[in-house]
Amino acid sequence: MTNHEHERATDLIARHGVDDIAATDVSWLESHLSQCRECAEYAGAFEQTGNFLRSLAVTAGPALVTSTQARVRARAEQLREQQARMVLVTVSFCIGVLFSTASAWLWWKLGGWVVQQLGLPESIVGPGVLLFWLLPAIVIAVLMVTVPHTVLSHPLLLSLTGEHEGEIR
Amino acid sequence: MIATAFSSLVPMETEEAQIARGLHRRDPDLLDALIEQYQHRLLRYLLHLTGNRAVAEDLFQETWLRVLEKGHLYDGRNRFVTWLMSIGHNVAIDHLRKRSPCSLDEMKDPEDGVPFEPESKGPSPLDSAVAKQQHEMFNEALSQVPAAFREVLVLRFQEQMKLEEIAQLIRIPLSTVKTRIYRGVMALRPALKGGAR
Repeated sequence: MTNHEHERATDLIARHGVDDIAATDVSWLESHLSQCRECAEYAGAFEQTGNFLRSLAVTAGPALVTSTQARVRARAEQLREQQARMVLVTVSFCIGVLFSTASAWLWWKLGGWVVQQLGLPESIVGPGVLLFWLLPAIVIAVLMVTVPHTVLSHPLLLSLTGEHEGEIR
Repeated sequence: MIATAFSSLVPMETEEAQIARGLHRRDPDLLDALIEQYQHRLLRYLLHLTGNRAVAEDLFQETWLRVLEKGHLYDGRNRFVTWLMSIGHNVAIDHLRKRSPCSLDEMKDPEDGVPFEPESKGPSPLDSAVAKQQHEMFNEALSQVPAAFREVLVLRFQEQMKLEEIAQLIRIPLSTVKTRIYRGVMALRPALKGGAR
């Protein structure tokens, strides 16, 4: 007996019952098992292992199934809400971008008209509109720098930054 | 069961394709039906993998939550049970990684000596006693077998999976599957001989 024959026999034994094995292979295996004690013993142990494993009954209790179904349903609902929220955020973002683009063009035109009416140089239209756009952020920044105790110590802001009241000073 | 429920709607579609479509939609009714249908098989697999009923039940729930979340990744080309077991396998591995970086055998509760409930065998008390003794012996031997071998044995014998499916599920080479089956069977052989006496 060669190692190759033992390997072939082991492979066929492992596939028996779950794979389609050609009739020639089956007859070869039967013939091999009748001559090879080692492989015949392995085939016997293989069959016994299968019989024992199949006889072990494991059942899931109804409570486990019910609670799993409830958890899965709750999570599915949560995911659906998240998905709906994401759609809403995406749509809002797109609308925001659309309106800000359109309004930037309008403000630019308005700035040009104002400059023309006041007789100012046209070169200030660009910086003027830019300043107008940045103004809210500048105001907030100035407020935060000049009034640190009232703005930065707000509990909501502290909780967002992960700090505790009093640590900021 | 699932196939029958949907066959009137889409007669030409395979069961796997129907499940894939339902999972894409996160259909709660389909998930309920799948949990019912695969409850015993999944729990049995996780129980053999972990050797601990409480852990297996936790992982059972985690597996179904992951099926819900990753359902869109199932394309219906492979059998659903193979995909489900691979999710269960990954959940068990993740659980192990969180707990300890060592082998799967560490998941076994040392005090849980009899992790499986043997099926009632014979009608006579003597037959029952002998069967019980054999099962206990086998269970003991099974619990000593490394989890990696135990896992392939369960998939091969209880789930009746092809060797290629097992290789795909655990993401190991086919030759490793064959080796693990061989070694697993050989490791159980002394217990089988003892039980056969």
